[in-house]
Amino acid sequence: MAEDRSLPPRASIPSADNSVWADVSPLLQAACQDLQEGELIHGDNFNLFAAMSALEIMDPKMDSGIACTYYSLDEAIENGVAPVPISADKTTDVRCMIDIMDHLLACEATWHKGHSLAQTVYSCLYLLRPERTSSHALLHSYCKVIRATCKAILSVVSEARTHEEEDLFTMAYGLPLSGNGDEKCLSMLNAVEETISRQLRACKASSSKRRVSEDVEPLQNNPDLEEGYCKALLCRLRFRKHFYHLLMSMKRPQGRGLELARKHIASCISEIDYIRKSSEFLRANAHGMSEQNIDNTTASGCQPIGFDASLNCRLSAPTPPRSIKILSLEKALEYFMKLLQDLDVICSYSLDPSLEAALLFVIKFQKSQPDLVARAHLQLLLVQDGKLYGRDPMFSMITRAAGLPEVTENHDIQKNEFMVQLGQLVINLLKILCTNAAWQRRKLGKMLQDWRVTYVQLEMAFKGEFAEASKTSNNKKICFKIYQHILAWVEEQTYWIAFRFLNLGFELELYSVHDYCMVYWYIYVVLIKLAEKKHLRMAMSSDSAKKKTKKKRDSFKDGEMDYQIPAAVLFLQSQIYLAEGLSMMFAALRNERRIVPLQSPFNTEHEIFIQQFELLQKACVPDHISYVTFKESTMHANFSTLAICDHFKEAQKIAKEVKSSFANDPDTMAELRRVEQVAERNSIALNVCRAGALDPKLKTFFTFCHHPFYATAIVKRS
Amino acid sequence: MDENVELDAWEIEYVSYGGEQHLPLVMNLVDQELSEPYSIFTYRYFVYLWPQLSFLVLPQLFHFQMVYGEHRNTFRGYIVMLVVIKPYRGRGIELVTRSIKVIMESGCEEVTLEAEVTNKGALALYGRLGFIRAKRLFHYYLNGVDAFRLKLLFPRSELHPSLPMMSDKYESHMQSDHGDAPFKE
Repeated sequence: MAEDRSLPPRASIPSADNSVWADVSPLLQAACQDLQEGELIHGDNFNLFAAMSALEIMDPKMDSGIACTYYSLDEAIENGVAPVPISADKTTDVRCMIDIMDHLLACEATWHKGHSLAQTVYSCLYLLRPERTSSHALLHSYCKVIRATCKAILSVVSEARTHEEEDLFTMAYGLPLSGNGDEKCLSMLNAVEETISRQLRACKASSSKRRVSEDVEPLQNNPDLEEGYCKALLCRLRFRKHFYHLLMSMKRPQGRGLELARKHIASCISEIDYIRKSSEFLRANAHGMSEQNIDNTTASGCQPIGFDASLNCRLSAPTPPRSIKILSLEKALEYFMKLLQDLDVICSYSLDPSLEAALLFVIKFQKSQPDLVARAHLQLLLVQDGKLYGRDPMFSMITRAAGLPEVTENHDIQKNEFMVQLGQLVINLLKILCTNAAWQRRKLGKMLQDWRVTYVQLEMAFKGEFAEASKTSNNKKICFKIYQHILAWVEEQTYWIAFRFLNLGFELELYSVHDYCMVYWYIYVVLIKLAEKKHLRMAMSSDSAKKKTKKKRDSFKDGEMDYQIPAAVLFLQSQIYLAEGLSMMFAALRNERRIVPLQSPFNTEHEIFIQQFELLQKACVPDHISYVTFKESTMHANFSTLAICDHFKEAQKIAKEVKSSFANDPDTMAELRRVEQVAERNSIALNVCRAGALDPKLKTFFTFCHHPFYATAIVKRS
Repeated sequence: MDENVELDAWEIEYVSYGGEQHLPLVMNLVDQELSEPYSIFTYRYFVYLWPQLSFLVLPQLFHFQMVYGEHRNTFRGYIVMLVVIKPYRGRGIELVTRSIKVIMESGCEEVTLEAEVTNKGALALYGRLGFIRAKRLFHYYLNGVDAFRLKLLFPRSELHPSLPMMSDKYESHMQSDHGDAPFKE
């Protein structure tokens, strides 16, 4: 290429004392021509694998320097990208200020959804030089509270960090998260809010023709717009104030700020409503610069002043630039409504000192699919300083869950290394359950082996301790009981984890239709074990309670009470029948060739079984279960036999019977209703399949419209 | 070009990666079709270390690469990139099938890859071949989309006494494999 000689030469890096710059381009070119095809010259430590993370200059997908507006913050500021004041005209200044507020909110929501702070919130150049805005009280106070809010949320997410989901979220290289005095952001915000409140009162007094009681300088110059602009600013400022207060309240240890947090949540929701209502006014006064577009990040529809996403992109570029689409203002408000609702659920939780209650609460909370910020808050509420809610020691929670009396909570046995290990496993379980479903499933699968190993170690410690039958002391008896109860509980908990691991596979869409038979079969065998262990644990607790009662009633000499199967175990029993029914139905469909089996040229059903249940098999969950067991159970299934011993009818019957026991538990009631519905419909489908055995036009489909992971069968003529 | 036209088999030719002259072709195809950015060193890593496991289908229709290596005491095949130009969508299964056979014959125990959860075509293709969805990876891709990690486990011959052909082939391959033998048609 011919060089353009008319261009002035670029300033080069000056030569140092003992060195002189020399152009080696011709030398490089000559050297490259001598290379063989595919040859690389590199240092001894160079490796291609590490080089895969390299960026490539001039590639639009990788080079963040391409198509830039400015090369530096100073250059952008000099060119008036982020002026202070925003406009010399006060009315325009206020309108643009509101646009900045709205766009920042949209950026904040986009950040929470998993993009980088640098390319979202901190694409606002006003945030990058804290001192620059000090002459503009409104802008300055707003920037302060934004920085403080980002810092607070970063702190929560970083502290709750369990996996790489947060990596991008918490990246904040060199961004000014704290300006001077940001910790006093609320007092400054309050001052600004007070000023605007007075301005609003003044213009209302003025509009009603009454004399102005105080001399208040108006917000801007157009009296007709004063009320609208004051209100639009106030609701945005108040949202900021209450949101920050909310974060600070939830930060208080042991959940002491939850009640106050709920008040701030209600206030935030109220202000969001006002923000929405201000849109019509703002759009009407956009002077034709507004675009009617569903992707608008501002209520007015105008492009905000002072933002440049490419600037930080360049400054913090160890990764390729992501093409980020900032959420619209409407989507951002929806996000914050969802976040506030999720945080309200957390703040409404009773902090029940019960491990079972905490686990159930997390599972229920996750059903609403909360985002990262809400999940992080829940995790920090549940586990602080290795204690439940930062208050209840994990060992005492375990003893309670295992059905042991309260006197055992402070027993010395908790210092046993395997008990300590068990406590840590429980903490990890709580944390993992607060993560996103994909990560949760992976970690639950892996932790099964840890739970199994801990069980075996506790069992060995138990046997070792009580091998010496000669000593019988009172403390020995207590230790014996503690070990017995905790061992039973650990096994139950292990199968509970396995059950959740398998269910999450449906939520994550990991199973194909061809896998359903083996998956429901495995759920069936896991549930049998879970019911068995729960029954054992509850029976032991019942025995302990009975002995207590008996001592008080010695004089009556009651006969042994009839023992009833606990409702919780019956609930599991109905699910056992449902899972077995589904497994056998799929097996019958395959055996009678009504569904086409998967025909891979490379492997068989056996390999798929191995892969699907690898983590459970490694953990011996359950023991002695294998592909062979699965084949033996299902290879003879057919519709004639299934209709005779209808598992679905059994499931439906038990679900119906056990309902009265859960009258005070709406969640379990709802679950039982769902189980009943699936069982009823599947029983009908089963009979249709049997009756229509010779009709090739009958097709069976499966849907999850009644239950998230127990499929409903639908038989249709095609 | 009319996408409904049935292509004759002779119009497609499978060739192994043949050297530096194929690299720009491959890079261009992948860059067009995949959303992820890859530097030239990504391509060099795979084609320098495992040139015999990279295939092109001429003229400029398909590109496919794979590697295998040790993974936690398991020999795992890994499908890195599969690109099919739009007019020839639907023919990708032949390329994948061919490649998996090479992986299997080289002694790997399993094959793995990632695909976007929204890529229905790829998921259906690999599903038919016996891949399971082993994991879901949250926000795996730069565009924020989740991925499924797909895995195919090969049978161990000792577990299948009823498959003498597979067993014989496997054993004879193991005996004759010297590790450096290039793939030959």
